[in-house]
Amino acid sequence: MKPLEVINPSTVQEASQLAQSNGTPTNLIAGGTDLLDEIKEGVVRPDKLVNLVSLTEMQGINVKPSGLDIGAGTTLAELASHSDIIRDYAALAQAAESVATPQIRNVGTLGGNLCQRPRCWYYRSISFLCRKKGGTTCFAALGENKYHAILGGSDCVIVHPSDLAVALISLDASITLSSAASTRTMPVEKFFAGPDVNIMAENVLTPGEIVTSVSIPALPANSKSIYLKAKERQGMDFATSSVAVALTLAGDVVSSARVTIGGVAPIPWRATAAESVLVGKAVGNVDLKEVGEAAVHRAKALEHNGYKIRLTSGLASRAVETLLSQWR
Amino acid sequence: MAYNVVGKSVPRYDLPEKLTGESKYAGDIKLPGMLHAKVLRSPHPHARILSIDASAAEALTGVHAVLTPFNTPTGRVAPDLAILDTTVRFVGDEVAAVAADSEDAAQEALASIKVEYEVLPFVTDPREAIKSYATAIHSGGNLIGGEPLILSRGNIEEGFAEADLVVEESFTTPAHAGAALEPRVAVASWDGDRLTVWKSSRGVHADKLSLASALQIGQENVHVIGPTMGAGYGNKDETRLAAIVSALAKSAGRPVRLELTREEEFVAGRKRHSTETTVKVGVKNDGTVTAIHTITLMDTGAYLSSGPGVVRRAGQGALYLYRCANVQYDGYLTYTNQPSGGSYRALGAPQGHFALESTMEKVAEALGMDSLEFRLKNHVGPEGQPGERITPADQIIDTQPVEGGVPFSSNGLQQCLELGSEAIDWQGRHERNANQSGSRLRGVGMGMFIYRGGPGTPTNAWMTLNADGTLQVTAGTMDVGEGNSTAIPQMVAEELGVAYEDVKVLFGDSDITPEAPITSGSTATFSTGQAALNATKELKSKILAAASESMGMPANNLEIANGVVKAKDGIASMTLAEVAAITGQIRTEASLTPGSTDFIVNSFGAHFAEVEVDTVTGNVDVLHYVAAHDSGNVINPQLATNQVEGGVSQMLGFALTEQMLTDPGSGVTLNGSFLEHKGATIQEFPNIDVIFADVYDPVGPFGMKALGEPPNIGVAPAIINAIYDAIGVRIHDLPATPDKILDALDRKEREGRA
Repeated sequence: MKPLEVINPSTVQEASQLAQSNGTPTNLIAGGTDLLDEIKEGVVRPDKLVNLVSLTEMQGINVKPSGLDIGAGTTLAELASHSDIIRDYAALAQAAESVATPQIRNVGTLGGNLCQRPRCWYYRSISFLCRKKGGTTCFAALGENKYHAILGGSDCVIVHPSDLAVALISLDASITLSSAASTRTMPVEKFFAGPDVNIMAENVLTPGEIVTSVSIPALPANSKSIYLKAKERQGMDFATSSVAVALTLAGDVVSSARVTIGGVAPIPWRATAAESVLVGKAVGNVDLKEVGEAAVHRAKALEHNGYKIRLTSGLASRAVETLLSQWR
Repeated sequence: MAYNVVGKSVPRYDLPEKLTGESKYAGDIKLPGMLHAKVLRSPHPHARILSIDASAAEALTGVHAVLTPFNTPTGRVAPDLAILDTTVRFVGDEVAAVAADSEDAAQEALASIKVEYEVLPFVTDPREAIKSYATAIHSGGNLIGGEPLILSRGNIEEGFAEADLVVEESFTTPAHAGAALEPRVAVASWDGDRLTVWKSSRGVHADKLSLASALQIGQENVHVIGPTMGAGYGNKDETRLAAIVSALAKSAGRPVRLELTREEEFVAGRKRHSTETTVKVGVKNDGTVTAIHTITLMDTGAYLSSGPGVVRRAGQGALYLYRCANVQYDGYLTYTNQPSGGSYRALGAPQGHFALESTMEKVAEALGMDSLEFRLKNHVGPEGQPGERITPADQIIDTQPVEGGVPFSSNGLQQCLELGSEAIDWQGRHERNANQSGSRLRGVGMGMFIYRGGPGTPTNAWMTLNADGTLQVTAGTMDVGEGNSTAIPQMVAEELGVAYEDVKVLFGDSDITPEAPITSGSTATFSTGQAALNATKELKSKILAAASESMGMPANNLEIANGVVKAKDGIASMTLAEVAAITGQIRTEASLTPGSTDFIVNSFGAHFAEVEVDTVTGNVDVLHYVAAHDSGNVINPQLATNQVEGGVSQMLGFALTEQMLTDPGSGVTLNGSFLEHKGATIQEFPNIDVIFADVYDPVGPFGMKALGEPPNIGVAPAIINAIYDAIGVRIHDLPATPDKILDALDRKEREGRA
């Protein structure tokens, strides 16, 4: 590993200024559980790291009647063990708990989880100059692609690795990005951008912009949420598919549904067709199979990942079934 | 038989040092002035190196030596393996090496080495590699030996003609890394013409020969020390590592250390060979097996390593586990431009038994027989296989025989089947798993196995009574983690009549121990243990003779108990220190070729698994596991139990999640990490019941037989058969990852079959 300069700014504004590199390859670092791997793998070669860990303004979980404000520096372990989150935003706690290992959850942060880079083994290997690294070929499209996209991938078939993002989109969360010049807030769903928008990145962050917080509105009365994650190995693994569902009932009728699927597309994928199937249905009339099929509406398999269609469909059915059973 | 030390779970010999962190591993060796090495690796799966310009690297501050194929000794590490070669044969193959003041400086220097390659055609698919038009990876072609290994007993054509039913099935197993926590590491230091190497080693004497050959120096000038091993797993074979550091150290005139990175360990270490196996079985309607024909195609990758032994061992289950007069095994071993295969605990036996025991499950099903009943009826019995003995009467019987007509020294397979099936409640399995609904379905499966029982190649041991009365067993073997440095002194102490703690152990140093083979083939405790026992018997008689003279009593009236020589019927006694004070140091030496001229010495076992398959996610959860083993008399129950639990846990990944993957278009290894080469974690480990059959082998020292590798063999068959029992789909291609289970369920639902 080549020598690096690590800078500890004292404000977000200062961090943002430092991150606008002026020609020096610079990365933001918080938990570092993803970035340090990328540096060791030689995929990212910064000279300078701007450390966000000491920024107190990015810490903490603030519970308000209108919802939650969560600093981007909050660790996954804090999210997974926070009693209000476990009770009122179960999908988020479950998503945080599902990540990697206790050691990683103890240092990995909310902001880092949302901004982590794809796991695609072609992207992660210096042997392949793929499109995401400025090349002209997507090696995965015709290579070993069992972990790759069944939705939304054309020029680049990565899947977005974040568990939290999937849960946050179903919880209708918004995200705040700050730079030295300005601050903007948008739905988490709008934060992510597919290869059609910018093949070199997975989100809309501009140079110097930092994810500072995430807000989740209080769920309407009679709402529940769930996050289910399929992985090949129970300990230390990324999702082969995941589903976050948030449902609100009015009487015994589904009045609102948000379904997001992960591990299947270059961005966390809002499954609106599945939502349409759910909304307006009496609980007893929900056809789980129909929900599952709608969740993978328009999904298309590559050579080695056809199982993901069945898997995601089944997982979506199971998520809705499990959630509905909690009302009984 | 009642023993004082044998059969007791004394603590591991090296336990205190391991627990307190004082054990020295090869990676802990630091020498004054030591340099650090890094290796430049090939980006091409197959290429000729036309030239290397290392002048820029050599000019860098802190760089002390650069090794290339053009300035390296031209001897061989192994018959097809040079220290560095002008042909590279897989992505990651060694091209050049640098020794510098630090690892970072060495790494940086690699970037300034300019290599001109002539890129050659490459082949990564073993089926393609054996075709006549395939690019030749070594002179002599890709199919090792130019033809398959063919072994047979009886006549399979006749056997299949007798059959009422023939079942034929094909299976594949992936390349699979040992993934030891300790990466391969070596440190070399020269004193004039004499070389000392510390390395993670399975056999210091074998390493000595390999290094002498590679460096073209006399064996007497090579000293190899094997410090504590950070997991052997039957892996960590020959690699170029030690030869490269030795050549660098010579060139730099300073000690050099090289430790592989985690990714290098996966790519440039040695892996379990991938296989494709077809098993064809003929049976009569009453369940009698009439013929078994097995064909295996095995990929040894870029280098031969232990490939011939692995392909041989892959066939032994099919040749010998079931009583059958007509059997044949065709083993094809091929080079490809994949990372190199090598030894990994149980060599080819897990691959071969997976195919065999999956097929036999199908056979039993086709016959409408319970598969346990089928195995109880057909497993090879104590009398051995039908047929005529071919080995001359005065020769030792091979531990992997093909011939019939030779009985086993002991055979507890029936006991393993009975005890194991009882522990998993085999008979109640369908009742307890009947009427299952929902998406999580349970099933029970099993597999049995046969393996070499302990006799290995010639070995030696010394026993010493020191002048102060202390005792030492000295042998050239290595404890690779399995515990022979505990079991051997236990046997020695038992024989001599002293406490386990009284026997000191000196292993793993080629200068001061007698020659021993590498710790492989589950032979070390049996073979070197027998040599130690023989040396102990001689030492005992010398001690008794000296005491007899001193005490004025006939030697046959004396015994040693609790470390004291005493009269059997009196109170007269002498301590060993008192004996030693008279005799001075006594050393006895024993050499032997272990084994029996009358019997096959084999170990056996049967494994059982109860699993739950999630038909939504395709995940398999192993709920309960039973491992029943016949390893003869167990010397140390706790160590033996650990050995079995370790083997089962290790092979969960082989069955369910682990494989090395290379990109077909480039030969690049895609998943050289613990994250993506998915070994089982603590969350996957099942409850494991370990059972040892009550067997005392008449050949083995203190009745023991081999246990090192057998725990690895039954895991995939038991789990894959349990998956079939649970969901009615048969996985033919390991590992049984969720994608394969879901795809198989999909096919079953669409076509009404698995």
